[in-house]
Amino acid sequence: MNRLTGKTESMEEWLAFLRTRQDIMENVTYWHTQPARPSRTVPLPDEIHPKLKEALAAKGIGELYTHQAAAFRSVAAGRNVVTVTPTASGKTLCYNLPVLQTLLHDDSARALYLFPTKALAQDQVAELQELANWMEADIKTHTYDGDTPPTVRQAIRNAGHIVVTNPDMLHSAILPHHTKWVKLFENIRFIVIDELHAYRGVFGSHVANVIRRLKRICKFYGSSPQFLCASATIRNPREHAERLVGGPVDLNDDNGAPAGEKHLVFYNPPVVNKQLGIRRSSVLESQKLAGSLLKDGIQTIVFARSRVRVEILLTYLQELVKRELGPKSIRGYRGGYLPKLRREIERGLRNGEIRGVVSTNALELGIDIGQLQACVLNGYPGSIASTWQQSGRAGRRHGSSVTFLVASSNPLDQYLIQNPDYFLGRPPEEARIHPDNLLILLDHVKCAAYELPFEEGDTFGEEKLSDLLEFLAEEKVLHRVGTRWYWMEQGFPAHNISLRSAAQENFVIIDVTEGHRVIGEVDRFGAPTLIHEEAIYLHEGVQYQVEKLDYPEKKAYVREVNVDYFTDANLATELKVLHVDREQLEGPLLRQYGEVMVTAKPTIFKKIRLRTHENIGSGPIHLPEEELHTSGYWFSFSEEETAKRSANDMQMALLGLANVLVHLAPLHLMCDPQDIRVVPQVKAVHNKKPTIYFYDRYPGGIGLSQRLYELHDEILKEAGHLIRGCGCLSGCPACVGPIEEVGLLGKDLALSLLEGIGVRS
Amino acid sequence: MSGLKERLERLRAAAKAAESAGGADPAEREEHGGSDAVPPAPPGNTGLHEAFRKLGVEEMTNDAGTFLLRRIVYPFPYRHGRYGLEELIACAPRLHPVACRQNGKTRSTSRGSRDSETADAPIPTFRGLLFLDTETTGLGVGAGNVPFMIGIGSCTEAAFVVEQGLIRDPGEERAMLTWLTGKFDGVTHLATYNGRSFDWPVLVGRFILNGWRRSGPEPGHLDFLHPSRALWKNTLPSCRLGIVEEERLGIARGPDVSGALAPELYMRYLRDGNPEHLEGVYVHNEKDVLTLAALAIHFGHLLGGGLGSAAPDPADAEERFRTGAWLERHGQPEEARRLYDSLAEEAPAASGSETGFRLALAAKYKRLGKWERAVPLWKRAAELAEKARLPRTDAHLELAIYYEHRAKDYGAALGYAEAALELVRRRLSLLRTPSQFRELKASLEKRIERLNRKLYRESFDLNAGRGRPDLTEQQAGGLPHEYA
Repeated sequence: MNRLTGKTESMEEWLAFLRTRQDIMENVTYWHTQPARPSRTVPLPDEIHPKLKEALAAKGIGELYTHQAAAFRSVAAGRNVVTVTPTASGKTLCYNLPVLQTLLHDDSARALYLFPTKALAQDQVAELQELANWMEADIKTHTYDGDTPPTVRQAIRNAGHIVVTNPDMLHSAILPHHTKWVKLFENIRFIVIDELHAYRGVFGSHVANVIRRLKRICKFYGSSPQFLCASATIRNPREHAERLVGGPVDLNDDNGAPAGEKHLVFYNPPVVNKQLGIRRSSVLESQKLAGSLLKDGIQTIVFARSRVRVEILLTYLQELVKRELGPKSIRGYRGGYLPKLRREIERGLRNGEIRGVVSTNALELGIDIGQLQACVLNGYPGSIASTWQQSGRAGRRHGSSVTFLVASSNPLDQYLIQNPDYFLGRPPEEARIHPDNLLILLDHVKCAAYELPFEEGDTFGEEKLSDLLEFLAEEKVLHRVGTRWYWMEQGFPAHNISLRSAAQENFVIIDVTEGHRVIGEVDRFGAPTLIHEEAIYLHEGVQYQVEKLDYPEKKAYVREVNVDYFTDANLATELKVLHVDREQLEGPLLRQYGEVMVTAKPTIFKKIRLRTHENIGSGPIHLPEEELHTSGYWFSFSEEETAKRSANDMQMALLGLANVLVHLAPLHLMCDPQDIRVVPQVKAVHNKKPTIYFYDRYPGGIGLSQRLYELHDEILKEAGHLIRGCGCLSGCPACVGPIEEVGLLGKDLALSLLEGIGVRS
Repeated sequence: MSGLKERLERLRAAAKAAESAGGADPAEREEHGGSDAVPPAPPGNTGLHEAFRKLGVEEMTNDAGTFLLRRIVYPFPYRHGRYGLEELIACAPRLHPVACRQNGKTRSTSRGSRDSETADAPIPTFRGLLFLDTETTGLGVGAGNVPFMIGIGSCTEAAFVVEQGLIRDPGEERAMLTWLTGKFDGVTHLATYNGRSFDWPVLVGRFILNGWRRSGPEPGHLDFLHPSRALWKNTLPSCRLGIVEEERLGIARGPDVSGALAPELYMRYLRDGNPEHLEGVYVHNEKDVLTLAALAIHFGHLLGGGLGSAAPDPADAEERFRTGAWLERHGQPEEARRLYDSLAEEAPAASGSETGFRLALAAKYKRLGKWERAVPLWKRAAELAEKARLPRTDAHLELAIYYEHRAKDYGAALGYAEAALELVRRRLSLLRTPSQFRELKASLEKRIERLNRKLYRESFDLNAGRGRPDLTEQQAGGLPHEYA
């Protein structure tokens, strides 16, 4: 301890002090330490251009980490490569080195860089320009995105050596106008795809198709570029890269970068109401930990799961440390901030002026903010990969760093915090894409046909292309002449196709009690039942009534009220099985996978008196019906198994099990929890049996249900484990659900149902 | 996994169901169903449809395949609206200044270097002009937008010839483009309407898509959209070709399909193979090409001193001013001055409420030091400004400056400055937010204060029998700054 400032001198000292604090340590469920790792390097390869060597020397790089050298060798051998190493291991050099090497030798060569966001693209251009300046080489690097002024676009198209853009721009602006990019496409040698792991799910499935189109255009101009990819840690980097770029890819994961000692502390807020299983707010606990770090002068990043939480935590923290640090030294960071402000915050973090930042996962990607010392995760980020990625923001090459994982009370968080082995002993999730989702595929076949006519014998994805083309010709989108299919519509197909999914849209909740204040958000699919007009919306224990729901604008206006009831909306979800693709009978269980049609329409809401739960009124909900044609997985219980219990008990058991599965499924699928839905039905429409359905919440499905069909045993076993391991008496929000929902026997009923089908842990 | 075809069928069924549930326009569905019921007769290349023959269309075959060609000859003399197309022979070379302006290598070069380029730029001749207008399947210049009809016009000593290529399906495009490239021989300029940013880039894209790279110099552009905008932007409801020809070239087109409908008509033809859908498109495109020639003649007369004789003087004062400015930019200062002077004589009294051209015209005279012309224009503009709901103060300011520093009539200057301040106040009262007018207000207040001082001094000096207060003038520092 520095006696003058009262601040700790090092991370080690702070951690030692922490271990003496009883009030904190009693909530720590696990303390994991990763030892420091030395660097492994090799000399710069001889063939590297002397100018490039000089520039590297000027940046203080005299040798390469082993993974950087390996990437260079793969590229030199003409192969595609994906580099998978942790944050801040010098990943960008893995692709910049071979690209610059080639550009120095061949002025006509071109490269295209893809980043998932504009901000990342801008970082990259700054870095490349710096290197080009050191080399005194005329290598022109430009971003090409929505912000690029029209006046310089032509110059970039003709003369830019490295064009840095995002998949959306490639999709809607570059590929459809490829004849203006002749210079690029004729000479393209490299396509760099960084943050490969970000291209998963619906977005990734779209991007894989955009890359199919890109390759098609390159082929037309006689070029066949190499793909240089980089990814955060995922379980299947090579498979993912190969599916995304549609060709063989070398895996490069031999990390040679050094790392300091790293502490990962699992923290579970204390229980305040044992019977209801309620714990103290994770926001308050995160604030306590972050405040303590910041007061001791430790540069800290706090990750929160939603924008609103970011703001709440930011306000708390600024208040807490305003005496020690100025208000400007703790900042928020999230989507919705203007680019200029973001750049300012990033700069402040790098040069140390900003001591703390509260962020959504916007800072999870490789934006350069330097390396911080401590990280506090408010709630489990949703996937193992994300957790490592976020905690990687704290960690220097030398010296210790610490990450706190503060669990919220949702079942997934509780499961992880109590089963650290699950987290630590497991490789991170797979990134999955389903580029042949029929709707996504058709969208891009249209775009591709607009760009170049299709010829008989062409391929595009795994499905039989000629059937797709025939279909589009019947729909009068394409026109067939002999062996060719031509785009034959007035429209511009890329304009109507967005690469990003609709599930990312949220409804904002605005409190109008005094002025206008945003207090929360609800996802699009939850809106019809949670914030329909007249609903009572609970926020931090305060009751609000929804006065107006502006559905097209996605806003709900609420006013604070004090009433003795809550509302419960009925959502009429109809699930129709359209087609069974695969099925398997295992004892009492029939498991099926196929296509389903889901229609959901909120019908009425009931007003239910607090405590007594009597129904004291109701009203209609006027909202449009939502229809979804997608893929689903479901399992049904045999009649013998059903007969063992009353219909009511069966209902409670199914409900309890579904409540657990809804949280476990996203964990195993590495998808956003919003991407998959679970619906229990005591008497399913199509086979009259008790059934639990899962379906992909994206038109056409994105392969999640299909994967669940395969993961069935594993997930049910996990469910049994979770229910049994929960400390509550008869059901709580952290397992089968609160007793108000599943009854006093909910927990036992769910367990006996699992045992009935042979699931034991 | 079920078969792809089955899944596509289910997809279609689901989409149809959703459509009918959504209450789609029944008429639309009717039409859709109707076209589904009749199996589309493939347009195919098997012989020429009778309806095409009636339109005077013939099959053309070259190395790259077959396409359709329609050729119409207009022997001279042939009148199209106000002009005879034979006037093109005399008018073409006069378009040289337009060609120079549109084909400078870099538009930001200094005046001197542009002149040197002018020397090299070819002078348009009637033989070197190719009039071009395409009809495409969609909007924009993306790779999927296909010109299905290419209309070109060329001029000989004896006649104007319109040729229209048409593809019965996209497979015939190569043949039509091959024919078109043959037509570029000897062409120095493409005469178009928005061809520089639309027709030509689209065609270049098509060449690239067909694996061709054009070599040699690009033809120059004579894109008449730009001069049309320069002349008629404020006096015609729009600068669409149809409006321009009717309002200014005396062409009455009669019944015509709108150009915007052309893609839809072509899609219909593709669906059922009936060439009658295309009849209107043929006529529309043909008329467009003829109008391009008439426009060339019109601008040729303007640049050849024919204004007031071959071409009528613009009736509208605003248009006359814009014509003058355009002529001035294209190396016709005398003609421009003639227009300005005629304007200056009548413009102060002219009824139009548009102040813009008066100020611009006055600015020209101010630069020339012709105060006797500038001042009445300003005065009229000032009068109009005081009546306007959203007043501008430019004219008042000019007058205040003029009276303070030129005429040394401080009383008049003060009058205009105070009126300007009043106008600024009116503007500010309309806005909640600060605007640049706050600065203007401050500077006006300063000016008024200075003028009051001068007036006071003047009255004092007059009493003392002394001359003009030169010292104060310099102290105020107004003149050099405001005239800088």
